[in-house]
Amino acid sequence: MSLREKLNVMVVDDMSVSRGLIIQGLEEIGIKNIEYSTDGESAFKKLAAKPVHLVISDYNMPGADGLQLLAGLRQYGATQRIGFILITGTADPAVIEKGNQLGMNNYIKKPFSAEQLKGCIERVVGPL
Amino acid sequence: MSKQDDFRESFFEECEELLEAMHDGFDRMAQDLEDSETMHAIFRAVHSIKGGAGAFGLNDLVAFAHHFETALDKVRSGSVKANDELLELFRKCGDHLSDLVAAARNGEGEVEGTEALRESLNETIGEDTSKEVEMPDFEPVTLQLDMDIAPVAESSGFEIEFSADPELFTSANEPVLLFQALERLGKLEVEADLEAVPHLSELVSSVCAIRWKLTLDTDASESDVRETFDFVEDTCQLEVRRVGDEETSVPEELPTLGLPSLSDVTPAAEAQEETKAPAAPPAEPKKEPKKAPSAEKSEQRKPAGTIRVDLEKVDKLINLVGELVIKEAMLSQSIAEFDPPSESDVSVGLDNLKQLASEIQEGVMAIRAQPVKPMFQRMSRIVREAASATGKRVKFVTKGEYTEVDKTVIERLVDPLTHMIRNAIDHGLEKPDEREANGKDGQGTVTLEAAHRSGRVMIDISDDGGGINRDRVRQIAIDKGLVSESADLAPTEIDNLLFLPGFSSKAEVSELSGRGVGLDVARSEIQGLGGRVSIQSKPGEGTIFSISLPLTLAVLEGMVIKVADQTMVVPISTIQETLQPNPEDIHTIGSSGRILHNRNSFVPIIDLGSFFGFRHTPESPEDHVLLLVESDNNQRYALIADEIQDQRQVVIKSLETNYQQISGVAAATILGDGRIALIIDPDNIIKDSGSASPGDFPIHMAG
Repeated sequence: MSLREKLNVMVVDDMSVSRGLIIQGLEEIGIKNIEYSTDGESAFKKLAAKPVHLVISDYNMPGADGLQLLAGLRQYGATQRIGFILITGTADPAVIEKGNQLGMNNYIKKPFSAEQLKGCIERVVGPL
Repeated sequence: MSKQDDFRESFFEECEELLEAMHDGFDRMAQDLEDSETMHAIFRAVHSIKGGAGAFGLNDLVAFAHHFETALDKVRSGSVKANDELLELFRKCGDHLSDLVAAARNGEGEVEGTEALRESLNETIGEDTSKEVEMPDFEPVTLQLDMDIAPVAESSGFEIEFSADPELFTSANEPVLLFQALERLGKLEVEADLEAVPHLSELVSSVCAIRWKLTLDTDASESDVRETFDFVEDTCQLEVRRVGDEETSVPEELPTLGLPSLSDVTPAAEAQEETKAPAAPPAEPKKEPKKAPSAEKSEQRKPAGTIRVDLEKVDKLINLVGELVIKEAMLSQSIAEFDPPSESDVSVGLDNLKQLASEIQEGVMAIRAQPVKPMFQRMSRIVREAASATGKRVKFVTKGEYTEVDKTVIERLVDPLTHMIRNAIDHGLEKPDEREANGKDGQGTVTLEAAHRSGRVMIDISDDGGGINRDRVRQIAIDKGLVSESADLAPTEIDNLLFLPGFSSKAEVSELSGRGVGLDVARSEIQGLGGRVSIQSKPGEGTIFSISLPLTLAVLEGMVIKVADQTMVVPISTIQETLQPNPEDIHTIGSSGRILHNRNSFVPIIDLGSFFGFRHTPESPEDHVLLLVESDNNQRYALIADEIQDQRQVVIKSLETNYQQISGVAAATILGDGRIALIIDPDNIIKDSGSASPGDFPIHMAG
């Protein structure tokens, strides 16, 4: 089994369209195991109970935003080692800086193509 | 490709929701300019629109949303202070954003006004500088992947149970070597379970009766552990369990135990709150009581889980349910012919079926119903535009936003409501100085209220203006030749003159409401929906336009009548009264005209049979039933019918797709016995029967 078939990914985005686009992109890349959550809080709960390899999360969400989710994941034992890619609309330096401090693995700026998403993921987990 | 289109479509639907959230935010902002949560919500909505638009390459939309978002961000971050003027500008930008979304959805080109708004944003907020910002270097962090993600317990370790088959030894393997290999992964404890070892006399030397329990404390993954046993896989019993598996199998508990809530562990949120808190400490305690009533007032509702369904599917279902109701009626009719005893299984079963069918029908109708809120929000924009065009200050109040109405009704109400609201601001409200001179608040109020009332939807548009200037309305109507000078008109009759075609009360045609369409058009659109409009006006206090609408366009409560051996259905909403006339109440006018004396007034009589051409001479009304109907302009007419058969709900089947619009006929229905009956349109009949229009109508109410 290749990496892309084994990789478990969770997509976190409150907007169904952009969530759909991310999932579509992942499917195009050939990633088989995709879960999703619609907000940071529920994503965190799911991940704490059952971690995945990689979380791809939007930054801009009501309630807990992407970075708050990241901070939570990094503080909790079971989720500490999960890879984290942040999706942002405006690549605000402060956000990236903060993500860097919190141990974000990579980020990608919207809009992106499946190819770009693949590149972004590969820089975190290696060739898919 | 089609999947992309799907997404595109749902993006626009999502945009509608986001725009709604944005407008909601503006409304909350109007009440509390400082509330940072509101600003966040508005920002998020605009940002999400931008994000989605980017994915679909809608560059105009992205560009403007970006600009708007930058401005919002400045307010959000506190570097620019919000005030009423800014809110006004934001509202305009929000409107413009809606326009851009609509244009993108319809594939239209440029939308006017982007530049102007962009400049005003720059003026008030300052230039957009975010573009020049260099991104900080970010080096992606490569992840060491652990491919088996059984829950990573904090005390990572395994419990291994192992026992060997005889073949393990015959294939030259040795448990001790395996354990030594395991030990290389971490700290290993081995315990031999000798329980199964038989007495020496019974021992079979080729069978290994010892079982091992191993505890391995390691960072290695389960697959690493299992790999050790790769070669003996088929010749042993192996069980590998993570230590602490039991705990992790209770997922609900963990997050709350280890970590009560995400927000508790995120310093980012705390820091934000902290910086805000000292800035406005006295505001804190005040906020709570202030918020509560406003939340109540706007009937905040969390959207329940929803699915999007193709409208066609729903309509098909509605149609089918309609057929079901008809078939059910046909069935009960044919069973009734056998006249089963009322307690029989058949009758009881039929009653149950009937109830079920009507419940299903109601349920299906409810699917099409939507809250009027988005439409009301569109109206708030109309109010703002109308207010700035007329130079009046207007407060717009909406009530009952969550009243649900059929989707088609909502869509078709937009135009007439727009017109009536413009009318209320343009003609209804006085100029601010005039208001103040009359001891009123300089800011006028226009209220839009929706409510369910006795199976219908009522929408009221009220203003607190000067009321209808009846003398002037009457004079205009006379000048335009709509009524004769000698006509003696009751106040409500004068009010209803506003609905006459060709009536425009402003001396100069105003830019706003005098756009060639009068209230008559608005009214006929509402009538097209099976609705009615009425006016109430009090001088000095204001005017209320009330629209009454059916809940659905698919069924109708009707009276089944017989006319010249034809079965017809009259919408019950139009019937005021049915009566068997006394001969002395019938009076003849001219050669063939007849009127009915009823409740101190005279009512013209129209024979349905001759109107539809079923019989030539108008029947004499004495031995028939008269249906008293009220036309739109509050004139009453009596329709002659031969017999009233039933009052019931009928499923409306449109004729217009197969025939053109037929005068006097609204639609058709299928009755229980399978016969087709026409649903008549009394208003249309009155208009086309040649009966006098109210202007030169010779008879007026005597009392």
